[in-house]
Amino acid sequence: VTSYQFLLVVAVAQGVLFVALVILITLNRWIRVRRSAAVHPRRLELDATMQRWALGQASTEDVLAALAWLPVSLAIEGLVTWSARVPSDRWQELSRGLESPWWARALRANYRSARWWKRLDCARFLSVAATPHDIGRVLRLLRDRHPAVQLSAATTLERIGSPVLVTAALEQLPFLGPTVQAYYASVLKRARPAVLRHLAQLFRRLDDPRLPRIIEFAGRLDEPVLREPFTTLATHPEAEVRTQVARGLGKFPHPESVAALGYLVQDEAWPVRAQAARSLGMIADPRTLPIVREALRDPEWWVRLRAGLALTRFGTAGRDALLEAEVGAHMEARDMAALILGLSPQGLSEYAA
Amino acid sequence: VNELIHATDVVILGYFLALNTFYAVLLVLAIPEIWEQTRLAEDEDFQRLMQSDALPPITILVPAHNESATIETSVTAILTLEYRNFEVVVVNDGSKDETLERLRHAFDLYEVPCTYRETIPTQALRAVYRSRTRTRLLVVDKENGGKADSLNAAINASRFPLVIAVDADTLIEPDALLRLTRPFLLGARIAAVGGTVRVANGCVVKDGRVTDARVPRRFLPGIQVVEYLRAFLFGRLGWNRLGGSLVISGAFGLFRKDYLYAIGGYRVASVVEDLDLVVRLHRHLQQHKIPYEIAFIPDPVAWTEVPESGRILSRQRERWHRGLIAAMWQYKGMLFNPRYGRVGLIAMPFFTFGEMLAPLVEVLGYGVTVLGLAYGAIDTTFALLFLVVAWGYGMLLSIWAVVLDEVSFRRYGRLGDLVRLLLYATLETFGYRQRTVWWRLKAFVNVWKRRQGWGEMVRKGFATPS
Repeated sequence: VTSYQFLLVVAVAQGVLFVALVILITLNRWIRVRRSAAVHPRRLELDATMQRWALGQASTEDVLAALAWLPVSLAIEGLVTWSARVPSDRWQELSRGLESPWWARALRANYRSARWWKRLDCARFLSVAATPHDIGRVLRLLRDRHPAVQLSAATTLERIGSPVLVTAALEQLPFLGPTVQAYYASVLKRARPAVLRHLAQLFRRLDDPRLPRIIEFAGRLDEPVLREPFTTLATHPEAEVRTQVARGLGKFPHPESVAALGYLVQDEAWPVRAQAARSLGMIADPRTLPIVREALRDPEWWVRLRAGLALTRFGTAGRDALLEAEVGAHMEARDMAALILGLSPQGLSEYAA
Repeated sequence: VNELIHATDVVILGYFLALNTFYAVLLVLAIPEIWEQTRLAEDEDFQRLMQSDALPPITILVPAHNESATIETSVTAILTLEYRNFEVVVVNDGSKDETLERLRHAFDLYEVPCTYRETIPTQALRAVYRSRTRTRLLVVDKENGGKADSLNAAINASRFPLVIAVDADTLIEPDALLRLTRPFLLGARIAAVGGTVRVANGCVVKDGRVTDARVPRRFLPGIQVVEYLRAFLFGRLGWNRLGGSLVISGAFGLFRKDYLYAIGGYRVASVVEDLDLVVRLHRHLQQHKIPYEIAFIPDPVAWTEVPESGRILSRQRERWHRGLIAAMWQYKGMLFNPRYGRVGLIAMPFFTFGEMLAPLVEVLGYGVTVLGLAYGAIDTTFALLFLVVAWGYGMLLSIWAVVLDEVSFRRYGRLGDLVRLLLYATLETFGYRQRTVWWRLKAFVNVWKRRQGWGEMVRKGFATPS
């Protein structure tokens, strides 16, 4: 084959491809318009039926019939949208109804599909329509290799507080990124008793490298029962664990928390000291004022910033301490006090967040 | 002479085949990627995520230098984004126009003391302002130091672990931040994420939002719509599957702040600071064996005003290419270096040989063809066929980008816009492409002369609905 012939073949192929692309664009437009014209009225019909059903003017069968008319993705979208608007007892009635239709059964069967998007459809469906019979499926989806599927499956925990699912979610928690952890924390709040039971067990594994992440998660629950294990972990050899403990203890105004924070604010690691100073400010026990004032002289800038912000939460006494530091002999404390005193109330609240 | 012409011709043909095969690979890789991303974008329940505390807090960095025409609209639009926890740091980089005054007037600014450390050295700060009306806004006024210096100042002032650099002339879609954080919600080890930048010229803009996406009727901005589609929708998507792109647009890119601190922020000496930053980020993370991803996701969209005159456009393209040459030279140690994994073995060679040297090879190709024809070393039919095939490739790639947009996000709904897009994709090869080659060639000359600087960039401001 000569290079001339080769180029000729390429040129012809290009021409064919050019025509094919233009046909593809035209067909795509046409199909979209047709599909939209066919499906849109059905979606509106579903909304109208859901509305009537929510008001008790339509039966569950009517809703199921309207859902059956829609493509699966739109049916799921409709369910997700309406699940947030309908009381949970009424929604459970619909969830039970969604166990039998053929399309819902087919959707449920997708939990074992080789294609992640099918498993995602199943997870999204179960996040609003799961019943106790689906625990096995949700468990598998929670352990799915695709993160989007895991995330959707985790949403199911808002509806089903099964200890098995909670345990599976908590076991996974340390391996997740901070953002996903925060999302898990928000969905696990509904299943609080099961979560707390399991956390109590996890806290006993002192050598577990996942412990800092578990404590971080536990801190988000704002659960008073956790104060005691938090206090116990204040002497843990890992600085990361102590940092999370120092951060979490600020939510528990209790003499034991204050004592632990008084110890942590003198820690060798500055992140621990900074978090302890912050937490002391959150509790604002007047007896800890001298400790926080001392932290304003810390060699680390971040600790001084946290201590300065903490002092503003001690009311007049804290402000006096800052004014005193502003004219004091300690150069760094003086700078930090001037900086904090110069902040507007709005700036202060933003920094304290 | 004939033999030399033949040999050069064979080299050019080989280069052309290798480059276009690589483009075809990118194109093929972009298909599953856009399909996956479209599925994720469609299936996510953003309302639910918006109500959760899971979204990571973000600082939006807005460098502004002589942006008085658009600054108020841009900042207002940014401040009203659909996101739960974010702050906006605008840096007035010693503007000579009324940028700061406009900000002061529009957002009722008042001066506050500087409450953060200068982790990355920058030009001297003049003042720091907060807004009485918008609590999320912080304005930093500083001596002029360039865009990179402004971004570094904004990074210093930021409070949150993720930062997103946004140009002051860029309009971000309301849900773009939510979409941009998707990789973080999916738990990936993300170092940076880029979104799509589209052309705002010709679109209807109301209250800092693009309310009606249109393809400009004017030729130059219209052609740039196709260029942006091509660069983002298949170029960067394809790179996702090849280990990450070297470019996250400076107009719209999200970064982990701790990594930016680790590499010392943006490099002030660079004229294309976004490319330079991403290359250094790759280098740092590879050197320290930190697992990471630098991803591009297509559905978060920011709209930007592109040059409408050839003069301004030529400066922009010359600067982009000058930055590319400088970056490839600066980080030549990464080229074909297995230590840097796929970045060293695929991305750097592609950007060096496929992008940086492309205008030289193209001009050489034109020159050799003319010489060959003059000396009778090349058959006229063959030369014309080669030209048709070479141009046809470029045309097909542009049309393919239009197809990808059409089957996925379909931002340009009107038939007239689609026809215009196809027309521009077809016409781009004739005249415009050669002009860009010329502009990029000038970059080589300016690098040789060690010429620095950005050149003037004139903003018209966004059109309002009629």
